[in-house]
Amino acid sequence: MSFVQFGPDDLASIAPEILLAAMGGILVLLDAFAPSTRRWFASLSLAGIAGSLYFLAKAPVGTSFGGHYDTSALSLAVGLFLGATAAIAVLVAKPYLARNGEEKGEFYALLLWGHLGVSLMTRGLDLLIVFIGLETLSLSFYVLASFFRRIEASSEAGLKYFLTGAFGSAFTLYGIAFLFGKSGSVLVSSFAQPGLARDPLVTLALLLLLVGFGFKMSLAPFHAWAPDVYQGMPTPAVAYLSVAPKGASLVVLYRVLSAVFQEGMPDRFRAGVAALAILSMTLGNVVALAQRDVKRLLAYSGIAHMGYVTIALAVFGSESLAAVIVYFFAYLVSNAGAFAAVAAFYRDETKPHPIGLLAGEGRRSPFRAAILSLCFFSLAGIPATAGFIGKFFVFRAAIERGLYALAIIGVLNSLVSIGYYLKVVYVLYMRESVEPEGPPPLAIADRLALGICAAGILFLGIFPSGLWSLAVSAAHALPFSPP
Amino acid sequence: MNALFSSHLLTAVVFLPAAGAVLLLLFPESASKAAKWFAFAVAVLDFAVSLPLWTRFDAATPGFQFTEKASWVPSIGISYALGIDGISLVLILLTTLLTPVSLLFSVGHVEKSVRAFSISFLLLETGMLGSLAALDLALFYVFWEVMLVPMYFIIGIWGGARRIYAAMKFFLFTMAGSLLMFLAILYLAVQNRAMTGTWSFLLADLMKMELPGSTQAFLFFAFALAFAIKVPVFPLHTWLPDAHTEAPTAGSIILAGVLLKLGVYGYLRFALPLFPEAAMRYAPWLGVLGVIGVIYGAMVAYAQKDMKRLVAYSSVSHLGLVVIGVGAFTATALSGAVLQMVNHGLSTGALFLLVGVLYERRHTREISAYGGIAGIVPVTTALFLVATLSSIGLPGLNGFVGEFLVLVGTWSSAHRWWAVAAATGVILSAVYMLSLVQRVFWNPLVHEENRSLPEIRKTELVAASVLVVLMIWIGVRPNDVLSKIGPSVAAIQKSAYRSQAALK
Repeated sequence: MSFVQFGPDDLASIAPEILLAAMGGILVLLDAFAPSTRRWFASLSLAGIAGSLYFLAKAPVGTSFGGHYDTSALSLAVGLFLGATAAIAVLVAKPYLARNGEEKGEFYALLLWGHLGVSLMTRGLDLLIVFIGLETLSLSFYVLASFFRRIEASSEAGLKYFLTGAFGSAFTLYGIAFLFGKSGSVLVSSFAQPGLARDPLVTLALLLLLVGFGFKMSLAPFHAWAPDVYQGMPTPAVAYLSVAPKGASLVVLYRVLSAVFQEGMPDRFRAGVAALAILSMTLGNVVALAQRDVKRLLAYSGIAHMGYVTIALAVFGSESLAAVIVYFFAYLVSNAGAFAAVAAFYRDETKPHPIGLLAGEGRRSPFRAAILSLCFFSLAGIPATAGFIGKFFVFRAAIERGLYALAIIGVLNSLVSIGYYLKVVYVLYMRESVEPEGPPPLAIADRLALGICAAGILFLGIFPSGLWSLAVSAAHALPFSPP
Repeated sequence: MNALFSSHLLTAVVFLPAAGAVLLLLFPESASKAAKWFAFAVAVLDFAVSLPLWTRFDAATPGFQFTEKASWVPSIGISYALGIDGISLVLILLTTLLTPVSLLFSVGHVEKSVRAFSISFLLLETGMLGSLAALDLALFYVFWEVMLVPMYFIIGIWGGARRIYAAMKFFLFTMAGSLLMFLAILYLAVQNRAMTGTWSFLLADLMKMELPGSTQAFLFFAFALAFAIKVPVFPLHTWLPDAHTEAPTAGSIILAGVLLKLGVYGYLRFALPLFPEAAMRYAPWLGVLGVIGVIYGAMVAYAQKDMKRLVAYSSVSHLGLVVIGVGAFTATALSGAVLQMVNHGLSTGALFLLVGVLYERRHTREISAYGGIAGIVPVTTALFLVATLSSIGLPGLNGFVGEFLVLVGTWSSAHRWWAVAAATGVILSAVYMLSLVQRVFWNPLVHEENRSLPEIRKTELVAASVLVVLMIWIGVRPNDVLSKIGPSVAAIQKSAYRSQAALK
């Protein structure tokens, strides 16, 4: 196979991932042999992420490794999204780990390796590379989930994520096997064969992939792990896990589906995707109303958001992929911002994160409270925030395709979601505080992470033009048939 | 510099309060007195800046004036387009007037998180003014929704005992309507793109589309629902008594004075011109709901034991009259309806303000807790009486002109009996309002604590007097205002009839 031989261009194209792998290794070694350098770990991780983005921007555009690896406007845009998510997670992690006395190299190393896995998923043009990426991500985050191994909830999170993750991976692998059986290759481009879309086994394979990646996206009904895992996993890791792998999974699905569905998405398949979207939005929003723990609330909110963005998948086509990319950038600043604020609000990680503890913080910690509220307004889709822009494009795409019912169910769901987002705002500003001891002092890294997310929410909400152009050109990288 | 300012006068009016809010962020938390007066100063300045709109507005020219247009999100066709006609003009001035009045009242009464209160209030003003000036549907929607957030905080943080419930209800009701409108806006833009090949959210572009009747009906319904909730039209009014009663006085003034009008304004500015055929077809239903609102609101108001709730229900009744005027759709009725919006803003604003004056002294809004205080607080009593008489339409005050025009205009329309019902509402309003005055200010003094009731303060007096002066001014010289409204109303009416005729 052409795999064995590779030239300098191939190396240049995979340099971003090599750097991430190496930086993770260096951090583990430094932790073991030079523990005094620990306070530089976050900076080193940030340097690794920035360097990897630099190499990605410098990588020669086109495919490498004989058509197995992609460098395109799409992988650039997605790489920027992933890198930004990772950077925010690192910024949140530094003060968070310090507060919990767990400032260890392996946290950053695992985060970088997980990030490496997600990058492989989005750049692989070969389903085996995608699968390896998926497993790299999963293995890193199984460990991160149970990072606080003395805390019961954290061990539980690790085990739950491991079991459901293994289950999901099996579905994915099964789907890959069927596709390989029918097309004779694991290369995505080889799925573009006439007639393949009508093969029932291929449909089955695609459904299996939808299930497998549905697990990673926490799309209902494959969502059950998310609330428990979010609750037990260190918050900075959740900030990453709740954003980046979800976006990457959808990009992979788009890659495969755009190759198979040369003549557009068949109606029955679309109906299935639409059903998943409706279920996920409705279940996520309704169950979120009953939550009392802010991390669980965000988990259900995430399930609902994956429902909204799956509307775009049901629409299918180049514009809908652009809408998905915009949606995920918006989701990144809002959701990672919300987790950053949550990380900065709760002092004791051995306990749950009840919403009631935030009472009165609007006055005691105005900066944090204002940004958490802003993130929630953005998640709720109030105009002039990034979240509104994301929903704007998704719903516009649905209406263009004539999926009116889906759009109406979508906005009705947004209405339901206001109920629980506003509940947190209400607790922050309209209840008297119960905790004599306020939240821990804000570190510079906290301020940076929160400030970046808030600026992002407002900037993307008010000036979305640049992001939309970026997303449109990225979406053109996939060979969608004209509608 | 001067030329730049003149060509961007509307932008200056709309965003000056927001700029003030940003500057307020720089104030230290403890400087609450400075924050109060700064916010008030910004609001007064904004009023001053908005005055040239009134003096330079040319009523003879039909169409929008002071227009500004710039591309905002070019890749998806959203533009920053502002412009006003006579209807938006009077409502913008009402907004820039009521905001400093409310803030002046609050100077003496808001003690908790003053900086945040001032910021919320100024942002709210930008939201209201933006909604009134926007000529691009996407831009309008942004302003329309952004308004909810500061109002939610104003009710929820500085409101009365059941403020949380009221704030949430306000937010959810309003949002419920506007989300469907959002989809309708997207649908219009998508259709326009399919027909012309370019994305646009401009009212002027979307108005050119000729949509089939059934589509129009759906879209009209989505828009009308959003606006009807805001007005509120019976039976969508249930959020209003809660929100108005629980909001702090300043919030109630703005809610009743401006926010409700945005519903009617949105209907006239967007729903009618965009879907003339559907609007004309369903106008009778709107009128019937208006009639129900007038009578139901009046009867419920009469049954209230809480002063603020009574005034809140009187708003349902008064706005019902405005809705009848819009439904009747004759030039006279429409002019009367628009004028009545301004009148209601002044009189109900004043009533809420004066109820606030009493509440701040006794901390109860129960009507039965007062009685016989006319001799103790004569100035408050006099002001309250003027506001009441304006509210029930005494000739010589503003309320009379608006009500009279609506009644005459409706009588000459195809729906004569609406005028009969509306006239009943006018009589009923005298019943509940005069009985309120009777029970609060006259009647024997039974509560000893009322004997030492302090008289109205200077800041409160100034705030209330401004409104009273305007009531008299409009009552005596209604043509000053009507001349600005008339041509714009005629233009809306003409374009609706024209497109209806074109479809036939």
